[in-house]
Amino acid sequence: MTKLLSALIAFSTLLTLSCNKADSSEPRAAAAPAGQAQPAPAASTDPAAGLTAGGQAVNAQGAATLEFKKRIDAYIKIHNDAEAKVPNLKRTDDPKEISDRESALAAAIMTLRAGAKPGEIFAIEYQPYFIKIVQDDFKGRSAADRKALISELPKNIKVDINTVYPTTLPLETFPPALLRKLPDLPPELEYRIVARSLILRDVKANLIVDILRDVVPTIPS
Amino acid sequence: MKRPPVRFVVICWALLALAAAGQAITGQQRAPATAMSAATEVQAPIGKDSVKFLVIGDSGTGDRAQNETGAQMWQAHSVFPYEFAIMLGDNLYGSERPQDFVAKFERPYKPLLDANISFYAALGNHDDPNQRYYKNFGMGGKRYYTYQKKDVRFYALDSNYMDQDQQKWLEEELKNSNSKWKIAYFHHPIYSSGGRHGSEVDLRSIVEPLFIKYNLNVVFAGHEHFYERLKPQKGINYFTAGGSAKLRAGDIVGSSALTAKGFDTEQSFMVVEIDGDVMRFQTISKRGKRVDSGEIRRIPNS
Repeated sequence: MTKLLSALIAFSTLLTLSCNKADSSEPRAAAAPAGQAQPAPAASTDPAAGLTAGGQAVNAQGAATLEFKKRIDAYIKIHNDAEAKVPNLKRTDDPKEISDRESALAAAIMTLRAGAKPGEIFAIEYQPYFIKIVQDDFKGRSAADRKALISELPKNIKVDINTVYPTTLPLETFPPALLRKLPDLPPELEYRIVARSLILRDVKANLIVDILRDVVPTIPS
Repeated sequence: MKRPPVRFVVICWALLALAAAGQAITGQQRAPATAMSAATEVQAPIGKDSVKFLVIGDSGTGDRAQNETGAQMWQAHSVFPYEFAIMLGDNLYGSERPQDFVAKFERPYKPLLDANISFYAALGNHDDPNQRYYKNFGMGGKRYYTYQKKDVRFYALDSNYMDQDQQKWLEEELKNSNSKWKIAYFHHPIYSSGGRHGSEVDLRSIVEPLFIKYNLNVVFAGHEHFYERLKPQKGINYFTAGGSAKLRAGDIVGSSALTAKGFDTEQSFMVVEIDGDVMRFQTISKRGKRVDSGEIRRIPNS
């Protein structure tokens, strides 16, 4: 009887896991509407572990996305406050106006976020969720595709939160299929990959807003 | 046997010497003439009211190769008076200080800018997206945008960051266009025989279905530092023209089944004319050789 009960529990857990996996391949907007998201266990570090808690199915993906969106909104407020302090950017013949404005905006945001630490937006308890999305995406690619993608990434470079994205460093192409799996961002922000890190970059300020390290798998030699 | 008179021998030697000298002089004079013949290999457009444009890719180095290729573009203009230029990304390599805009764009293309030739840039992976605010790049403050030239609708995309907003925008714009010709351009080629990069299959899986569904005719891309005309893929014509300053010599995989024509031994650019249902193209090397040319006939939409 105990064995039967264990088997049933294991089967239902597997079923929940597979449903969640199917969800994760959906575009984010459809997968996690804010109203339907359910809270996830706060201290869970395993994206799969949050799927059942006290016998209740929990939508960890929805919860992570919701929390992420809240933090993004908070950042956008800072961005807007900073933007109000610098001259408006219009189309111009003078590239100096563009670079001056970019620097001024970056400086204003850096001041407003002085002391910002990695994980302020990629919340620590949900980082495994983001890591899983990226790593699953890479796993699903052919070896040649994976190698081509990784070989394009900027390497041997250290980037940090609340610093300017190195201006001489190329902005690698963000894989569109992976982009589809990550939560949407407002136009002020974008995801980028630098070396093995997933970063959030403020587009107008060219600023690294948050960083999640060791996300991109290494190529086995 | 009677020996020839001394005077005759002297005259013969003198004539031979003169001929040799003449040959040498002619040869010396031909050297610059060969360089000049660059422009002479560009053929004039055929259509009277055709849409004529220049195609530049991966150009923003500020180095000698860019400047020389830029000079050649201007020479080509005297024969083929294109009205505007499309830029396929990597418009500025490295730093983007105000002086970089001068050295990597304004100076190499000064004659074109002085002649009021408009540029319409797409963003490459080396470009700061804030380039969209630089008027000379014609982006109107947008990372991706569209514009019309007579019968032709152009779509300048940001292939660095193909998010859902851009996909939705592209689909709407393609759907709502009744233009005879639809041409997209962006940085990363979705078909390529490059040994270093190759086809961007991830991007292809997103944009190709839209291109097919809405009858796109032609795609231009850069990123690969060479010229390649690809065999049409699912009815769409693809060109890679990312060698207008940078060059990755010998990078085209020789055995590629995709290639219709490749050129990876010198910098190059394209001049294109759209005349009714025909698109004529010429690819010109830095030294002015016409390395590829041809025409594409538009298949009317069913």
